[in-house]
Amino acid sequence: MPLLTADRVKQVLTRGDRSRMDVDVEPKVKPGDRVRTRNIHPLGHTRLPRYARARVGVIDRDHGVFVFADASGNGLGKHPQRVYSVRFTARELWGPEAAPRDTVHIDLWDDHLDPA
Amino acid sequence: MAPDIPQRSEHPGKAGALLDTLTGSWSDPRSGGNIDAMHTHDDHDHDDAHTAPLTETQLRVKALESLLTEKGLVEPKALDVLIDTYETKVGPRNGARVVARAWVDPAYKQRLLRDGTAAIAEFGFTGRQGENMVVIENTPKIHNMVVCTLCSCYPWTVLGLPPVWYKSAPYRARAVIDPRGVLHEFGVDLPEDVEVRVWDSTAELRYLVIPERPVGTEGMSEDKLAELVTRDSMIGVARVEAPRR
Amino acid sequence: MNGAHDLGGMHGFGPIDPEKNEPVFHADWERRVFALNLAMGAWGKWTIDMGRYAREQMPPAEYLATSYYEHWLFGLEKLVIDKGFLTREEIDARIAELRKA
Repeated sequence: MPLLTADRVKQVLTRGDRSRMDVDVEPKVKPGDRVRTRNIHPLGHTRLPRYARARVGVIDRDHGVFVFADASGNGLGKHPQRVYSVRFTARELWGPEAAPRDTVHIDLWDDHLDPA
Repeated sequence: MAPDIPQRSEHPGKAGALLDTLTGSWSDPRSGGNIDAMHTHDDHDHDDAHTAPLTETQLRVKALESLLTEKGLVEPKALDVLIDTYETKVGPRNGARVVARAWVDPAYKQRLLRDGTAAIAEFGFTGRQGENMVVIENTPKIHNMVVCTLCSCYPWTVLGLPPVWYKSAPYRARAVIDPRGVLHEFGVDLPEDVEVRVWDSTAELRYLVIPERPVGTEGMSEDKLAELVTRDSMIGVARVEAPRR
Repeated sequence: MNGAHDLGGMHGFGPIDPEKNEPVFHADWERRVFALNLAMGAWGKWTIDMGRYAREQMPPAEYLATSYYEHWLFGLEKLVIDKGFLTREEIDARIAELRKA
């Protein structure tokens, strides 16, 4: 890629990044499925926050196929996977004292979770 | 009780005092062990900015920019365009227009909820950190709030660059564990039968909240409605207020 | 990594304390750090994820005690050195020169 010059800035910003990938990846789970997030503690980059590891949630939606940030962040390529919005109850994350109705939705990849 | 660690240069003295109390080997070789170098309180533009010596931070930035420019790796005019774009051209007025349109046009709102990126693109608001938009709507039973606990992910195309509080530890830490406490701090108190739904932007999806349209705005034009919509309401930490008569 | 950036659920940070009518940038160096990051990212030598990971590697005590754009500055220095655009020595030499000027 050449030097970013002033005349190309607008085009570059408008184009944005290509995180969404136009490849077919069979979904591992579907909306409504229960999942358990993995108990992983990689030294490298991961987008699975500590507070959401080894927790049970429900797939709220399937966002499609994206570059896997955990791979890309460690210089290991794109490894396209599906990204899901996973819904956790506040009580699942924070214990029985948490507000009964509240929830947290976290976007996670196939490699962050397994069917529960 | 542990002291609160200040997040911003508003409390440089406290940060310095705190760092001074850390025992052991913490020091910053780049600043020659001068802990005060990590502060930014003297980086604000003052009248005497040109006569005051540059801080370590300013020196580091200047060093990088001058070296990268000399080596032909960055073009200063391109830097200026980048800055100008996000300082003056892209901001929450974009999102306010999207929200106002959703309020007056039910078909548009459905398009927004179904495919946020495409519907927002109808306004021409496309590009970096807005490539994969998800629009979520507040209702009397669901209040949505957006955070990025891991860094600062934010929908630049519709809201511009995020405010300091959104990128700082207090919000990032508390939004997921105590959203009602956060909302209370912003002046919003919700009954227990409302679900507070927090969205942690861990991937490349970026979230825009459609706040509830306030009572008392019936018959207002789309432009006038857009003026009411605040950035904070589109993050989900505030409600939109009806105009005072 | 289990770094200081992984803040969800941590206690003790105090009030959110939003600034009223805050400017997009609070100092000129912040503007430059922002733009330098985007401009250097345009070379394609690191992905957006590698950019985040670079910032995550700030020592935890430093990360918690510094501002957002100081994190970006740390990350940028690390990336331009790791990717071979600049060396630590030439950056330090330039800082020393500028300090004397």
